[in-house]
Amino acid sequence: MSDSTIQHHEESRDVTFRVHRFNPQVDSKPYFDDYTIKLEKGITVLRALNYIKEHVDSTLTFRAFCQAGICGSCAMRINNMSKLACTTQVWDELDKAREPGVIKIEPLRNLPHIKDLVVEMDPVVGKMKKYSNWVDSRMPEEQWGKKEFLVSEEEFQIYDKATDCILCASCVSECTILRAHKEYVSPVVLLRSYRMNADSRDGIHDQRLAGLVQDHGVWDCTHCYRCQETCVKNIPIMDAIHGIREDAIERRGTKDTSGARHAEAFMDDIEKKGRLVEATLPIRTNGLAWTLKNLLPMAVKMIIKRRTPPPPPLVKASKGIQSLRKEMKEMASHVTKDHEKKSGE
Amino acid sequence: MKARASRSRRPALFPTSTSATRQLRKDFRLFMKPFDIVIVGGGGAGLYAAMEAMKTNPGLNIAVLSKIYPNRSHTSAAQGGANAALANKAKDDTVEMHIFDTIKGSDYLADQDAVEVLCSEAPKIIRELDNMGTPWSRMDDKTIAQRPFGGAGRPRCCYCADKTGHTILQTLYEQCLRKGVFFFNEYFALELSVDGSRSRGLIAMNIKTGKVEAFPAKTVIFATGGYAKMYWNRSSNAAGNTGDGQAIAYRAGIPLKDMEFVQFHPTGLRKSGLLVTEGARGEGGYLVNAEGERFMKRYAPEKMELGPRDLVSRSLETEILEGRGFDSPAGKYLHLDLRHLGADIIKSRLPQIREMCMYFEGVDPIDEPVPVRPTAHYSMGGIDTDNFGRTIIEGVYAAGECGCVSVHGANRLGGNSLLDILVFGRITGRAAAEEASQFNPSAIPASEVDEKEHELRSFMQPRGHYERYGTLREDLGHTLGANVGIFREASKIKQGIADVESLRERFGHVRVFDTGDVYNTNLLQVLELKNMLDLAETVAEGALVREESRGSHTRTDFPTRDDEKWHKHTIYTYDGGRPKLTYKPVTMGRYELQERTY
Repeated sequence: MSDSTIQHHEESRDVTFRVHRFNPQVDSKPYFDDYTIKLEKGITVLRALNYIKEHVDSTLTFRAFCQAGICGSCAMRINNMSKLACTTQVWDELDKAREPGVIKIEPLRNLPHIKDLVVEMDPVVGKMKKYSNWVDSRMPEEQWGKKEFLVSEEEFQIYDKATDCILCASCVSECTILRAHKEYVSPVVLLRSYRMNADSRDGIHDQRLAGLVQDHGVWDCTHCYRCQETCVKNIPIMDAIHGIREDAIERRGTKDTSGARHAEAFMDDIEKKGRLVEATLPIRTNGLAWTLKNLLPMAVKMIIKRRTPPPPPLVKASKGIQSLRKEMKEMASHVTKDHEKKSGE
Repeated sequence: MKARASRSRRPALFPTSTSATRQLRKDFRLFMKPFDIVIVGGGGAGLYAAMEAMKTNPGLNIAVLSKIYPNRSHTSAAQGGANAALANKAKDDTVEMHIFDTIKGSDYLADQDAVEVLCSEAPKIIRELDNMGTPWSRMDDKTIAQRPFGGAGRPRCCYCADKTGHTILQTLYEQCLRKGVFFFNEYFALELSVDGSRSRGLIAMNIKTGKVEAFPAKTVIFATGGYAKMYWNRSSNAAGNTGDGQAIAYRAGIPLKDMEFVQFHPTGLRKSGLLVTEGARGEGGYLVNAEGERFMKRYAPEKMELGPRDLVSRSLETEILEGRGFDSPAGKYLHLDLRHLGADIIKSRLPQIREMCMYFEGVDPIDEPVPVRPTAHYSMGGIDTDNFGRTIIEGVYAAGECGCVSVHGANRLGGNSLLDILVFGRITGRAAAEEASQFNPSAIPASEVDEKEHELRSFMQPRGHYERYGTLREDLGHTLGANVGIFREASKIKQGIADVESLRERFGHVRVFDTGDVYNTNLLQVLELKNMLDLAETVAEGALVREESRGSHTRTDFPTRDDEKWHKHTIYTYDGGRPKLTYKPVTMGRYELQERTY
């Protein structure tokens, strides 16, 4: 980045904002409008958009409220990345622009589009409700206000970062699974579920977890890390997702979904052979009946094309598998020790 | 995406209020019974009111209207914390001390019975929030942590790092979702429909469709937050804190109270006016002038940086006026120095502040002092209410910053605003729930809705000479900041009043360029500007009339407090487009008037 900052060291310059426009009452399809304005260094994208709205084109529509990075209203895609307009410096974006001097601004993805840069947020709220993203207190409501719960600083630390979430939906916008399945639970809801599950004051841990391991739940995530990368509050969302998975296996075993069984089959193979036994992987993940029904035609095609994986007995254990096993054992013992330490505290 | 029917512990005694029937009611509400409670505003006060009303009577039909998604509300920006005499940190802290600090802080303009309610409810409300899942920061003994705050005799400010308001708002929103409160998100309130001395309900615009809709309601609670955004660029507030509730109530004939009292926060960031929490000073930050001096020792030798806000703001402004500030193109400023706290404390206790300084000023407080100057922050005034949030119009309530009970008097103490919205949000919610079962309002006449729709359309008419709302808005902030800011005097305020008057005239020429119905933010911002202009007049008039200095209101031509003439609330009634001023005595109690020194 240092090279390009030298490139844009000037104090003021013309900047073009290429903004996604769409008014459902007039336009049949979206288009881009270019606004070129002279800006000074140190200005944020939101302030530039405000300037355009106030002085150039008042029909430009976007959400903005606190302008201080805490309300989450102004999330939009700036140069192909979802972020808050109010905390994004124009000069930083100039460095990332594909076309020199042009900053591209689009609405968030994966949410229904309303107008220009405004998208519908109701689906996110709906999912928060579906997955009970609230603390359902262990204390009956009638007793509220009389006594505080005792919570250790260590417990607070576990969900401290997760409570930074401002529901800006940047992670929703960048999520690759949501692109394919609108019903997918979505990263933000997983993060919040994790936070609720980690809270000792909450009384519906198991129930919430049972919802999360269903179809379109926590096992659908493909670990692409886009959510974590885009999070405007730098929350380690993937840690939360892994946390839920570990918790799910610990409390519910691998019976729930193919995702969990798939993970377990991988683990088995690596331990035994150091490589995958692909031929039996579908059977172990989804069962024999499912495999015969869904994969047999493909298997036949693969055989014809001579693309079949080697039969299981021929998959030989990798060289050095002994030391790998040893290492895995060591790792496992570390993890158990950590767990013991944690619960001991 | 269809939300699954929300689970609730509501008894099945009230079949009229299942999720499905409520959905129906939402869709066809014009043809059905009025709402029991319509809450305008989805911040801390509104959500607490909704939750408490739901708890009081689970069968009620409650609608929360908000011009934004409730989780975006400005409550989220409150960083510091909420005061409560839990005595977790200082074992000798008592509710009485909290009461005294608040009354003294208010410069004795607060009603003492109201303050007593506020402070004695405080520990309960903090524990209640804990019980429903607010992640408070903790002490070593696992109880809720507390820290010192300006104007408080003991460390009693409960906090969650520097995101206290944010976490409280999230918790309340989550609990409202759990309880199945009905949200009408992105609805902009336009008008209160009044039938004699009783309200019929509310007229609001659906922002997503542009349709003007009637919300017949037995009771209406205004919880729309403050009006300090009228100072525009010299305000720490969100763009939407335009006093919509106050303006609607005012125009409907409900009196406003103590509008001249606007609190300036000592430490706003130089460029944007955004806030650096008082917690930064609570943790031990220094205020330093260009001569490298910790100048607070000359103004509040005992409390130093932790004096009450009005005093610290005046001190900063004086330093700047007397030429001991730093100079920059964005204006003069002073330094808030946190460097001696060390990286660890800054990172763990003030992470948001650090982020903000880096985003908006390009300064990392670990390495450099933060450039600050006073910024308009909080409106002590608001809709005149009694201790239950009731106004003079039956069925209309107000709570939080939008209302004025008054607990903050002439100056609010840090950490008391979150407390105010929580305590009075709850009290108001309960009061409205109890009243709602007793009344049946008359229907809102269709003509009123049509009239409103027509009025909105008229802004879009092309006109020969037109004004842009953006310019007007900036001018308003500029004139208020210069003439009705921290230091006020008759000649300046008169200039301010004249400016507001001419701005109101220019507003007649404002044109809305976006003529569409869907999500017309152009129209919205014009409507918000109208609300600000109406309220700005009351602020300036009140400042001119009150010939004394009390709390946040400092007249250089009347530098002392005048209890004989001015120990009373100012009341503003809408009278043919202009405010008519009357007065109301302050409720006294245990504490006699004293000089206020720190």
